[in-house]
Amino acid sequence: MKGLFYGVLLQWKMDLRSKTMLIACYLVPLAFFVLMGGIFVSIMPESRQTLTQTMTVFAISMGALIGLPPTLVEFYGSDIRKVYQVSGIPGWVGFVLAMLSAFCHLLLMSVLLFGLSFVCFGGEIPSNLQEYVLALILLLLTSLFMAGVVGLGVKDQAKTSLFSILLFLPSILLSGVFFPAELLSPVLEGVGKCFPAFWGSRLLMGGFHWTDILPLVGLLFLYGGICILLLKKN
Amino acid sequence: MKAIQVEKLRKSYGAHEVLRGLDLAVEQGEVFALLGVNGAGKTTALECIQGLRSYEKGQVSVNGRMGVQLQSASLPFSIRAMEALSLFARWNGTRAEPGLLETLGIHELGKQLYGKLSPGQKQRLHLALALVGDPDILFLDEPTAGLDVQGRMALRNLLAQLKRQGKTVVLTSHDMGEVENLCDTLAILAKGKVVFAGTPQQLRQQEGRANKVILHTEGETICFSAEDLGRDLLSQLELCRAAGQKVLDIQVERDSLEQCFLRLTKEENR
Repeated sequence: MKGLFYGVLLQWKMDLRSKTMLIACYLVPLAFFVLMGGIFVSIMPESRQTLTQTMTVFAISMGALIGLPPTLVEFYGSDIRKVYQVSGIPGWVGFVLAMLSAFCHLLLMSVLLFGLSFVCFGGEIPSNLQEYVLALILLLLTSLFMAGVVGLGVKDQAKTSLFSILLFLPSILLSGVFFPAELLSPVLEGVGKCFPAFWGSRLLMGGFHWTDILPLVGLLFLYGGICILLLKKN
Repeated sequence: MKAIQVEKLRKSYGAHEVLRGLDLAVEQGEVFALLGVNGAGKTTALECIQGLRSYEKGQVSVNGRMGVQLQSASLPFSIRAMEALSLFARWNGTRAEPGLLETLGIHELGKQLYGKLSPGQKQRLHLALALVGDPDILFLDEPTAGLDVQGRMALRNLLAQLKRQGKTVVLTSHDMGEVENLCDTLAILAKGKVVFAGTPQQLRQQEGRANKVILHTEGETICFSAEDLGRDLLSQLELCRAAGQKVLDIQVERDSLEQCFLRLTKEENR
């Protein structure tokens, strides 16, 4: 337990040293937030109601899908896993450490966005904070497991970046955060439903409804199950 | 009880059979070298023993806690040397011994990122990581590759120290001089089987050719091969004495371990 706790702390520090994680989890979401927040609020003042949620979904999707896979590829696509294994550290530890560290980074970023949205743009605080936090955690975990599938399934850094972007773009564009999903064709709406961002944004914006929770939990188990299978294969 | 016992080990990669019924035994507390030309199956054999690779047939038993330094080892580029040691030590419930860190010169690497270390420094760090769990059996795959003279010296001292502590060391190397200096016993692999097992002296006896003797006398230099060194040298000295030649110097050249190894592996690979 001592080793695991130290491992998470260490992974957290290593993530901050790694430029990919720093850029994907903090710099780009913050820059995007400042830019888009200013534009949204000035042309559509009513967007204040959903500004926090929109930017949070964007930050989580980006941080998870772009930030996490390179860390996993570095671990499982090289001899690092072997070195850990022969030193008595089980192979799944690399995955767990990367996931927990990314979870902490993205949770911190979500809190930052929550506060900045309120302070800088007069963003509205969600009516039910408990439900908001639960939805946030569910979205975070599902997004991270989805990113985990990319990181464990593709063992090449260049290909991983390509897959990450191929998933990140539709995830955001079809999630309904920038325009209503109802405007999309049924096929595109169906594709959008495969991404955690679609259900997560509905939960964060529209309240805690089982019709949105269950599909997200389903995706969590699906992506989590695939990660376990890939870990066993690794 | 033997530290390592391997019986009839078989391992294939697709249609290519790398280990063909490998038998090995390593006694506790000895320094053992596993030798062979490239592709002989050394690394595969070690990885099967270490539990990193599955195998089709045979039995492997390892009695004691293992510490392993892999031939191809890596760590995250953004981890610092001391952080890696702390992580591995905490995970094993031990701590990095200050003496060990000093012997291997890890203190000076402490805050450097792994990605910025030289190959030799990485090698030293991986050796320290292999030792941090206080293993009973230490595996070193080409431990001196990439090490400078000081690093080799430090490794030699460390191995001597480990031997005094009764630890078992299994190493692979292409440096025969090093094997001769460091190892008690060795095994030579060719085409996935052990073709020789014994001490370096036994290898010389089995594979070494006749000694070459050079006699420097007042008038000439006499060079001859001796099948039986004592007998042949004595009779040559008798001849010199009878001819009134004064012997100034005697040189005896023996086959090196490297020559014995080359001869054996060449024959086996035919």
